Amino acid sequence: MKLKNILLTILFLAIPYSLIPNPSHAQQVSLSLSPPLLELFIKPGKAIMVAYKLDNLGDPTFLNLKVLPFEAKDNLGNIRIKPEFEGPVRFSLDNADLTLDQPFFLKTNDSQQILLRIRIPENITDGDYYYSLLAETIPPTSSEGIGSARAKATIGSNILVTISNSGNIDIKPKIALFSTRGRLFDSSDKIPVVLTVVNKGKNMMKPEGQISLKGNFGETIKYDIISKNILAESERMIEATPSAIIDCENLRTEQKCLFPTSLILSGFFIGKYNLSTEIRFGENSPTIFGSTIFYAFPFKIMSGIILASLIIVFIVSRHSREDGNPD
Amino acid sequence: MKKKLLILLFLTIPYSLIPNPSLAVPMDSSRFKIESANVEIAGGNKSSTSYKLADTVGQLAAGQYSSTGYVVKAGFQYLHSIIPFRFSISDINIAFGTLVPSTPSTATTNLTVYFGGAGQYQVTAIEEGPLKTQSLNVIPDTSCDGGANTCNESLAKVWSSSSAYGFGYGMSGNDIPADFIDGTYYRPFPDRTSAESPATVMTSINVGKNRSSTVTFKTNISSIQPAGSYQTIINFVATPSY
Repeated sequence: MKLKNILLTILFLAIPYSLIPNPSHAQQVSLSLSPPLLELFIKPGKAIMVAYKLDNLGDPTFLNLKVLPFEAKDNLGNIRIKPEFEGPVRFSLDNADLTLDQPFFLKTNDSQQILLRIRIPENITDGDYYYSLLAETIPPTSSEGIGSARAKATIGSNILVTISNSGNIDIKPKIALFSTRGRLFDSSDKIPVVLTVVNKGKNMMKPEGQISLKGNFGETIKYDIISKNILAESERMIEATPSAIIDCENLRTEQKCLFPTSLILSGFFIGKYNLSTEIRFGENSPTIFGSTIFYAFPFKIMSGIILASLIIVFIVSRHSREDGNPD
Repeated sequence: MKKKLLILLFLTIPYSLIPNPSLAVPMDSSRFKIESANVEIAGGNKSSTSYKLADTVGQLAAGQYSSTGYVVKAGFQYLHSIIPFRFSISDINIAFGTLVPSTPSTATTNLTVYFGGAGQYQVTAIEEGPLKTQSLNVIPDTSCDGGANTCNESLAKVWSSSSAYGFGYGMSGNDIPADFIDGTYYRPFPDRTSAESPATVMTSINVGKNRSSTVTFKTNISSIQPAGSYQTIINFVATPSY
């Protein structure tokens, strides 16, 4: 009898969860991973360990770590992560409690140090290999009975590995495009400049230098090139510190916002202008040059003056005719 | 009058008469061989046992060190920022509720990227298969309204017809693709099970510290769609550039 009462009490307390409505609530994910980029120049047979910091600034979640190779997707610095691991570089974790591809739990506002060991086997051919360290959330279990999608958040940090046994690096830089979009501008136009550099070598390179603007009277302005990596056998649009920025947030479909630019020149231009660039890749490395020209005239102002003049001439001539005709 | 016309003609010289002066001058040899010591990587120390550190101001764990047989640089050397790369999704449960035939259901979530300085980034999206039940009934990916408004994984088009069925997404906010013109424009997600490549849904070559966009998920089913619990996973991948 006593046992029966206990069982009934347990049964009563263990009311099936299915009777309780499942409240749908927002589950936020917010992850931070640093450093965001690692550049490693290493000899075959060597290994290093790099410490990363992964922060969970959202709700508690299970996370999974993995490393996948990537390649340049376009000339704008975007990447395409390959679905399967490839390449000679070996990755593992030095953490006692973590391994790659094994989920672990991270509480809200908690951090996890990731000790990534990168090992290069012996007798590896010189060359570049590019990878991303990825931390991905494990999606929550689905709610039955309704249509739903679940989002998985993945944050990455890129690893650029240059393997060189001799210490020599092979780069072949060349200017693929140095141009303004158009040759003739109105004096008040913002002038977009595009500079694309191709690297046909087997190792990545880092450009340094300036874009110079020279006017009719010899006045010169220099814009420093931002030193971003150009991967092996790829090309990249190089940016320079701008003199102007076009706000494309509300002008996304306008022509000037559809194409990325290296530099936007701002000012009041009249006449012929010379643009030149000089790009270096380190001491004693090749320096490459490019130049182009553009013209700017005050078309809008002159059109306004001409239109106003025509209107005045028309009014004056009509007034003269009316004065000459007493009828 | 003739003079005026001549002046007008002179001022409106056709653009095409001006020669195209593209003068890019590549000055490379057929093959360059550069000593590592000269490629700003402290390559001269490759075989030494000395230790070097060149911090990027304010970046967590940023630095450069050299030791026997390797040189490492961590972080973007041209960025001076204390804001690390961070990616947020406001809600990872995208519930459409009970689906009603020919009545589109939508749900939204916000994507936010924080990155200091002139950091460049991208966010891509891919579905791990179409919306489907455990018995493999499928809500196909949308092709939008069809005809001139046929969308695909890389081109958004208008999807407003209640008789156009499928599953897709629209976007609004910062750094989104230009083809999402307004709230009626949608695309289907690329499908990993069909070996499609992820679609870039946010990207910027000079990002601020709080770039945010809204993803609107939309599905619309026909009256012959079998009943069931339709599920899928959308993978959003945020990566900085290189």
